[in-house]
Amino acid sequence: MKTKRITASAVLAAAALIIFAVEAQLPPLVPIPGIKLGLANVITVFALYYLGAPAAAAILAVRIVLGSVLLGQVGAMLYSAAGGLLAFAVSALLKRAFPPERLWVVSVFGAMAHNVGQMAAAVAVTATPALLWYLPALLISGIVTGAFTGLCAQFVYRRIGLKKM
Amino acid sequence: MKTRGWLLLFTAVAALCLLFYVFAPKTGGSVVGIYQDGALVRTIDLAAVGESYELVLERNGSTNTILVEKNAIRVVAADCPDQVCVEHGELRDGASPIVCLPNRVVIKYLRDTDGVDAKAGSAG
Repeated sequence: MKTKRITASAVLAAAALIIFAVEAQLPPLVPIPGIKLGLANVITVFALYYLGAPAAAAILAVRIVLGSVLLGQVGAMLYSAAGGLLAFAVSALLKRAFPPERLWVVSVFGAMAHNVGQMAAAVAVTATPALLWYLPALLISGIVTGAFTGLCAQFVYRRIGLKKM
Repeated sequence: MKTRGWLLLFTAVAALCLLFYVFAPKTGGSVVGIYQDGALVRTIDLAAVGESYELVLERNGSTNTILVEKNAIRVVAADCPDQVCVEHGELRDGASPIVCLPNRVVIKYLRDTDGVDAKAGSAG
């Protein structure tokens, strides 16, 4: 059973990395710094429900570090990591209160937390509070993208998550 | 809470966020500041610009090329991967700053409260 879990984690990490790499090739949807669909988040929230918090955290860490290195965006890794960390903490906490049928709600809160963490890192790094001007826009995008990726994860979970590992 | 409840809640939050932009204060004025690593490195009074010119900001080997024209400023080239600052186009009033996160560059209109001599002329 343990081998199965490790294998599943590795497969999910690889899938997350591929999604991340492909999405990075798309031009920005809107010219606002920090907004993107965040498709790789589908894997993170799915793994959270499917494999539990520790495995999901490992998958997220692998994706952020390898993704930033492979795509040569180490400069942007800090924002990614700050957002990812906060989003994960919030999602892992909320997971206790929400059944898989409400997975999308967890995902929305996670996405908003991601944007808040990202923004906090950006303000800290650039020492420019003026960036906060973009926070409401980021929150709106978090709600929309979070609901979308959350629903994707929810559908995947409904199909293959029944045999819980 | 039911699905409808969550939908309502999230819609309400999104609406509040939108309201922010409706009521966001305009800065007015024509003086922009260019920040790098959080430090104000240049102030330009766009109304006083005659001939347009390009400015190149460099940081750790990465560059942003800024086009300064009369009453307009924009980033025309950047060697960061995401190109958000280039896509942003011209700096518009309404407090929306041009941002290049990878190179830590911010371009925005200055307010009187920014603590600099806003009339500091057009360094070129």
